[in-house]
Amino acid sequence: MKNIIKYTFLVGFLSIASSCTDLQEVVLDESFTGSGLSETVSGAIAPAYGQVSWVWRHTNYYGLQLIAADEAILPHRGGTDWFDGGKFLATHTHSITPTNDLVSSSWNELTRNVSRTLTAIETLTPLADMGNQEAENALYEMKALRAYLNMLMLDSWGLIFKKERSTETSEILRGQAAVDYIESELLSVVNLINTDLGAGRMTQTAVWGFLARLNLNAAVYRDPYGTPNFTDADMDKVIEYTDNVINSGLYELSPEYFELFNDENNSNRELIFALDQRGVLSREHSRWTYWSLAGSNWGRPEFTSSDGTDGPAITPDFYQTWVDAYGNVDPAEADPRFYQGNQQIPAELRELSGLSPANDEDHFYCTTAEEYEFDRGIIRGIIWGPRKDENGAFFRCNGNADVYRIYPVKQIKGNGPDRDVGYVNHELQVDFSNEGRLHSKGYRVSKYQFSRTSPNANSFSSIDIVLMRFAEMYMMRAEAQLRKGETAGALTDVNTVRTSRTAREPVPTALAAIDLEVLYRELGFEFYWEGLRRTNQIRYEKYEDSWTEKTDANPSNRLFPIPQSAIDGASNTPGYLEQNVGY
Amino acid sequence: MKDKFFLICILVLGSYLAQAQTLMSGIVTDDQNEPLTGVTIIVESTLKGDVTDIDGRFTIPAQVGDVLKFSYIGMKPLDIQVTSQEAIKVVLESDAAQLDEIVVIGYGAQKRSDVTGSIASLKSENFNRGVVTNPGQLLQGKVAGVNITSASGEPGAAQDIIIRGVGSLRSGTTPLFVVDGFALDNSVNGVPTNPLNFINPQDIESIDVLKDASAAAIYGARAANGVIVITTRKGRAGQSQINVSASTAVTTLARKIDVFSASEFRNQINAINGVLNDGGAATDWQDELTRTATAQRVNLSMSGGAGNSSYFASFSGEDQEGLLRKNDLQRYSGRLNLTQRALNDRFKVELNFSASRFENSRANSNSIVTDMLQLNPTIPSVTNGELTNLIGDNINPLIRERIYDDLSVNNRILANIAPSIELVKGLTYKFNLGVDYSTTNRDVQFKPFPSINDFELGSLNTFTTSNTNTQAENTLTYSVAEGIHNVSVLAGHSYQQTEVSQKGFFTSGFPNNGVEPRYQISAASEPTTQSAFATINELQSFFGRVNYSFNNKYMITATMRADGSSKFGTNNKYGYFPSVALGWNITNEDFLASSKVFTNLKLRGSWGKTGNQEIPAKITQASFTESNSNNDTYPLDPNATDLSGYPYGSTFTRLANPDIQWEVSTQANIGLDFALFNYRLTGNVDFFNKVSENILLEVAPVDPIQPTDKFWTNIPNMEIRNTGVELALNFSSDETKDFVYGIGGNLAVTKNEVRNSPYSILTTGAVLGAGQTGATINGVLNGEPIGTFYVQDFIGIGEDGLNQFADINNDGEILDNDRFAAGTALPTTIYAMNFNFAYKNFDLGINFNGVAGNKVFNHVALSIFNKGNLSNSLNTTALAVEFPNEDVSNSNRVSTRYLEDGDFLRLNNATLGYNFDLKRLGIGQGVKNIRLSITGQNLLLFTNYSGFDPEFNTGSSIGDIQTFGIDYFSYPRGRTFLFGLDVNF
Repeated sequence: MKNIIKYTFLVGFLSIASSCTDLQEVVLDESFTGSGLSETVSGAIAPAYGQVSWVWRHTNYYGLQLIAADEAILPHRGGTDWFDGGKFLATHTHSITPTNDLVSSSWNELTRNVSRTLTAIETLTPLADMGNQEAENALYEMKALRAYLNMLMLDSWGLIFKKERSTETSEILRGQAAVDYIESELLSVVNLINTDLGAGRMTQTAVWGFLARLNLNAAVYRDPYGTPNFTDADMDKVIEYTDNVINSGLYELSPEYFELFNDENNSNRELIFALDQRGVLSREHSRWTYWSLAGSNWGRPEFTSSDGTDGPAITPDFYQTWVDAYGNVDPAEADPRFYQGNQQIPAELRELSGLSPANDEDHFYCTTAEEYEFDRGIIRGIIWGPRKDENGAFFRCNGNADVYRIYPVKQIKGNGPDRDVGYVNHELQVDFSNEGRLHSKGYRVSKYQFSRTSPNANSFSSIDIVLMRFAEMYMMRAEAQLRKGETAGALTDVNTVRTSRTAREPVPTALAAIDLEVLYRELGFEFYWEGLRRTNQIRYEKYEDSWTEKTDANPSNRLFPIPQSAIDGASNTPGYLEQNVGY
Repeated sequence: MKDKFFLICILVLGSYLAQAQTLMSGIVTDDQNEPLTGVTIIVESTLKGDVTDIDGRFTIPAQVGDVLKFSYIGMKPLDIQVTSQEAIKVVLESDAAQLDEIVVIGYGAQKRSDVTGSIASLKSENFNRGVVTNPGQLLQGKVAGVNITSASGEPGAAQDIIIRGVGSLRSGTTPLFVVDGFALDNSVNGVPTNPLNFINPQDIESIDVLKDASAAAIYGARAANGVIVITTRKGRAGQSQINVSASTAVTTLARKIDVFSASEFRNQINAINGVLNDGGAATDWQDELTRTATAQRVNLSMSGGAGNSSYFASFSGEDQEGLLRKNDLQRYSGRLNLTQRALNDRFKVELNFSASRFENSRANSNSIVTDMLQLNPTIPSVTNGELTNLIGDNINPLIRERIYDDLSVNNRILANIAPSIELVKGLTYKFNLGVDYSTTNRDVQFKPFPSINDFELGSLNTFTTSNTNTQAENTLTYSVAEGIHNVSVLAGHSYQQTEVSQKGFFTSGFPNNGVEPRYQISAASEPTTQSAFATINELQSFFGRVNYSFNNKYMITATMRADGSSKFGTNNKYGYFPSVALGWNITNEDFLASSKVFTNLKLRGSWGKTGNQEIPAKITQASFTESNSNNDTYPLDPNATDLSGYPYGSTFTRLANPDIQWEVSTQANIGLDFALFNYRLTGNVDFFNKVSENILLEVAPVDPIQPTDKFWTNIPNMEIRNTGVELALNFSSDETKDFVYGIGGNLAVTKNEVRNSPYSILTTGAVLGAGQTGATINGVLNGEPIGTFYVQDFIGIGEDGLNQFADINNDGEILDNDRFAAGTALPTTIYAMNFNFAYKNFDLGINFNGVAGNKVFNHVALSIFNKGNLSNSLNTTALAVEFPNEDVSNSNRVSTRYLEDGDFLRLNNATLGYNFDLKRLGIGQGVKNIRLSITGQNLLLFTNYSGFDPEFNTGSSIGDIQTFGIDYFSYPRGRTFLFGLDVNF
C-alpha cells in the first residue's frame, strides 16, 4: 500500500518533471538557417529583380498607370466581366477611393519590392566592404533598382520611404527631398555599376536613363499639384544623361517596331531596361499580351486556353490623336507603330457580308501553328482566329491535326445581342453605357506577341517586359531641348525616332516642325500602353483634361490615395503616414 | 422518480469476508416499496461495505451495535444502528434537494445545487434524435445561447458552434471539446467534413456546456469560445445491460428551389427575346441530380460490472447516403470504458478507449448544385440511350458525377487512462494520460474523359494528414466537510502536445484505361506538384480551484489557470486566467424553507477571463524561404534556359512578432436557477457581458517597407462585445399519471458589437465569379456586429435598364464608399421549443428551433439568377425577371438586392415511440425493454428565404477573417424519416 502510494507519487512527479517544458516553438517545416540552395549574392538579388514583373502586373502597377491615363478604358464588360469591385471604373474616372484594390495591390507589391532591395543591400554591404567584388557589383545594381522603385512610388503617391536598415522605421520623404534622395542614390552608383550586363539588369546606361527621367519629371515631383516649373538646370541634366546613353554606342532603334515586343526581344538592341523572361516560370507573364484582346479568340492554335479577356480598349479620344495626325490616311497606312497585319487572310475571304457563325462553316483558311501569328498594334473591326468545336477542340483542316482552320471569330462572351450569332467586331466607341461596354466594344491593343512558349497567353512567356528603351532617350532629349527653346535639336531627335522603323511600309514621314503639343502626341504614338502615359499627361498638364467617361479636373487626383490598409496600419503612430490631399 | 435511473452510482466497495464476522442481510426499497439497486451500505466502524443487487438485497459483515450507513443518490442518506442479526428492511426517502443532476465541470463533477457557474447539461435522453453524425447535432436547439449552424445539408457537414456570440474575427470560433477529460485539438485533420464525426453519438452519456468564465476559466487560453464537455457512457457494477439498436432512414430533398420548368423557361426566354436553345425535353435537373438517400445504423453496447470492476463496451456501424449521388459516409466505431478499483476503493483506474474508422465519399457538390439550378431544362440528360455530353456549354453533370471522386478515410484512436489514489482521507491524486491519433487520406480525382475538352487529362489530388495529440495531467484534489463548511480544493498541472503534418501532391494526364488515377499514379504524364506542412505545438498549464460552501447556502468558487503556449511570443509565454463566482441557494434560507412555491431558487454571479490561442503556429518568428519559383528568382545567368539556371532567392515570408499573445475575453454573468411547485416548473435565466480584447489579426504594419505586406499582431484597444440574456424554461406534468407531458424552451438574445477598431473597414466574404475579383460582401466596422453585410443599397432598375444604387454619402457618385452596414448574418435571437408527451406505452417528442434578426446573402441568386443567364438559355427563378425593364446585360453587383431575411423556424425533429408491454408478451424475464420508434427530421421549415435553406455556413475567410451568412451553392438539406428498434437485455 505504502509502496503503491510512493510509486504513484514518483510516476506523477516524473511525469511533471519530464513534461515541464520551456515552450520554445519547434518549427518543423521551415529552415531558419537556409538549406544551402541559395547562394548569398544571387539569393539576395534574384528576388529583388524577380518581384519587378509582379509590380508591373496588369492588376497591379501597370493597370493603375494604364487605366488612369487617357489611352485606355476598362468598362464593366457586358455587365459580367472586369467589374472587380469597381476598381477600374473608379481609376478611369479619377474617383479613386483609398480602399480601391488596384491602388492597394500596386502599393503592396511595390513596397515589398523596395523591401527586397533593402534586404539585398543589407546582405551585400558587409560582403562588399570585405572586398567581395561580386557582392559589390550586385550592391550597385540593388541601389539602382531601389532608386528606380522609389521613383515609381514618388510618381504615383508623391512620397517615398527612405530606409537603410530593416530594423528601423522608414523616413518619409516628399517633394524636393525625395528627388534629391533618389538622385543621390543613382549618382552614387552610376560610375561604379556594370556597363555590360544587358537590358535584363541594372546597368550604367539604365541608371543614366533613370536619371534623365527623374530630372525630366523633377518639376512635377517637387510640386505635384502646381504648374510644373521646368528649369534649365533640370533640362541640362536630361540632355547630359541622354547624351551619355545615345553616345554609348550600345543601342540602336529597332527597324521593326513590334520586334520590341516579341519572344526574341531579349536580343533587341533598343532595350535598355526590361524584365528578362524565358518561358521557364509560370510568373513570367503575358498579361500585357492577352488583357486587352477578345475573350472569344485564342492567340495560339496549339493551346486551347490562350484566349484573351476583353479587358481594356483604347479610348476613342486616344484613337482620335492618330486620326488628327494623319488626316485622310488611315493610321495603319501611315505609321508602322499603329498596326502590323500578320494573318494571311486570303483576299477572297475578306468579304463577310451575308455571313454569320450560323452559315460560315466553310469560310476559313488553313494554317499551321508555326505559321500562325495574330495581328499586332491597334486591332479594329472583325477579327480572325481559330474556332472550337462542340467538345472544345479547335477545328482542323481535312482531319490534319497540325493544320488549323482560321475563321472570323464568333462572339461567345457576354450576354449581348451578338453572342453566339455574331462576329467579334471591335468598334471605336467604348464607354460605360450599356451599349458601349459590350464585350466587343473598343479598339484593342495587341502590342505584345502571344508568346510561343506560353500555353495559355498567361504564364511561361518568353517576351521581356520593356520598361525603358532607346527611343525614350531621344524623346527625352527632344523634350528637354524643346523646353529650353532648342527647337531644331528637338525636331531632329523626334524625327530620328519617327523615321527609324524601316523594316516595312509605311515609313512615317519626318515632321517639319515641332512644338510641345506635337511632341506629346508623338510620345503617345511611340509609347502607347507602355506604362508611361499617366506620367507624361501630368508633365504636359493634360491629366485634368476630359476624355471618354472622364471629366474630373481636380489636380489632387494626380497622385493616388495611400491605401486605407496602410493608413490604418500606421494609425497607432499618429502623424507618421498622412493621407494625400483630397482623399 | 424517473431521474434516479439516470443518475450514476458512484461508489462500489469491495466486500470480502476477511474476518470471521457475522453476516447480516437485508433489503432496501423506496417509499413505493420498489427495491433499490445499487444502494451503498458501509459499516461505519470497519468501512466494510456492499451494494444492493437488482432485488435490493445486501449482505454485510456487521455486529450488533455497528452503524450501517445507507446512501443513494436522490435519496436522503440514512444511518441505522444494528440492533439484532435479523434481516432488516430499510426504506429510503427521496430527497428533493438531491434530485438535481451531477454536472460535469472541468476536472471534476458537482451536484447542480453546488454549481456557481453557468453550465448547461444535456443528458442522453434529451438529445436530438434521428440520423445524427456528430455531437453538435445532438445539441442543436437544446441549450440556450449555443448557436449551432450546419455548414450545409451534406451528411456529417461541418458546423459552426458559437457559444454566447462570436468573440473573434478569425476562424477560431469553435469551442474547446473535452471528451472524458481529454481536450481535443481543433487543428485540421484532413477530414473534409466535420472532424467530430469520429465520435459515435450513441456512446455519449451527457454533454455539458460551460458557458460563463467561471465555468470555463479552468481551461484558460482555449476557453474563450466556451467549452463543451462530453462524457461517454460508463458501466455500473451490478447493472448488467445489453442494448441492441438498429435503424434505417430515408432522406429526400426537403425543399426545391423554384426554377422555371421547361415550358415556363421557353415562355420566359421568348418574353425577353433571349436565345432559346430548345432541346425539346422537359428535364427537372433538381430531380435528376438528387436521390432518395438511405441510412442504416446498427449499434451494440453492453455494460455492467461486478465487485471492483465495471465496464462499458460498444460497437457501431453506420452507412449514410447523401442526397447527391456518390456522397456517402460510413463510420465504424468501437469503445471500451473500464473502471477498476482496489485498496478498499482508494485506488481507482479509469480507462476510456475508442477507435473509429470514417470513410467519406463526397460529391462535387458546388458544381452539381450550380448545375441543378441553372441547366437548361429543355435539354435531355440522355440522348439515344447515351448520356448527352454537353448541356449547353457545360459538361453533363451526370457524366461529371461518374468521372469525379472525392474519397477520404480517417482512422482515429482516442484513449486515456487515469489512475487515481486517495493518499489520505479526502486528498486524491490523479494522473491522466491521453492520446489522440488520427490519420486521414484523401484522394480527389477526375478520371480522364477524352471526348470533352478540359476533362481529357484526368487528375489526382492526394493529401495525407496525420495528427498526434498527447496530454498528461496531474491533479490533486482535497475535499473536506466540517459541519456546515464544505471545502474542495483542486491543483493541477497539464501538458499537451499537438502535432499535425500533411503531405500532398497533384498530378494529371492519365491514360483512359479504366483504372482510377489514384491506382496508377506512375502513369501520370504531366508534372507533379507536391506540398507539405508540419507543425508542433505545446501547451503547459498550471491551474487551481477552490470551492467553498457554507451551510449549503453560500458558495464561492475561485479558479486560476496559467497557460503557456509555444505559439505565443517569447515576451508573453504565459497567460493568466482567473475567475471567481458566487452562489446563493435562497431556498435554503429560513424565510423560503417552507415555501410551497419555490422548491429551489439560486442566484449566481461570476466574473472571469478566458483566452483564445487559436492562432497560426510560427507567427512569432520571422521566416525566410529559398525558392526558385514565382517572383523569388530571376535569370541572372545569360545562358540559363531552364529552371536549373534560375538561382534560388532568399526571401522573408513572415515578419516576426515576439509580443504575440492570446485574445482575452472578460466575461461577467448573473444568473438565477429556479424550480417551482416541486420541480414542475424549472428554469434559469442568465445575463452576460463578454468583452474580447487583444484581438489577433493579420494586418498592415506601420512602416510599409516590409518583406510582407501583413503581419500578425494583437490590436490594442479593439474590442468585440457580446451582451445578452438567456432563458430556459421547462414544465413537466405530474409523472404519476398515465398521460405525462412536458413543455420546454429556451431563448437567447445576443448583441454583438465591434468597438475601437483602428481599421476603418476590414472586408471579407469574397464574391465568386467573373468580374468579381476583390469584391467582398462582409465587413468589420466599428459599432456594428461581426458578420455585417457591407454592400451597396440597391434601389431598383433605372430607365436605362441598369442597376441603381443609393448615393449613401451624397457625393454625387456611386463608388465603393457608398457601401453601408445592411444587417448582420449573426442572429440576434435564437430560440427553441420542445414538447414531450407520454401515454402508457407511447411517447412523442417534438423539437423546434429557430433564429431571428439576421440576414443572409443569396450568392446563388447573384451568380446565376439573372436575366443575362436566362437570355443565354440558362435556367433561373422568377428573381431574374422581377424587373421587366431590366436589360439582359445588367450586372449582378453585390448589393442589398441579394440580401434576404434569414429568420427561420424549423420543426427540427419529432419522435414517436412505442415501448412493448413485455409482461404481456411473456418475455419480461429476459428482456428489459423493446422500443420501436419513428423519427422525422427537418419536417417543417418556416422561412422567407428563397434558397434551399437559410441555415448554412461555408466557413470561408479572407485574410483569416471569417465570412458569415453567404450562401455559396450550399448542399441542399433533406427531410429524413428514421425507423428505429431498440432492445435492452
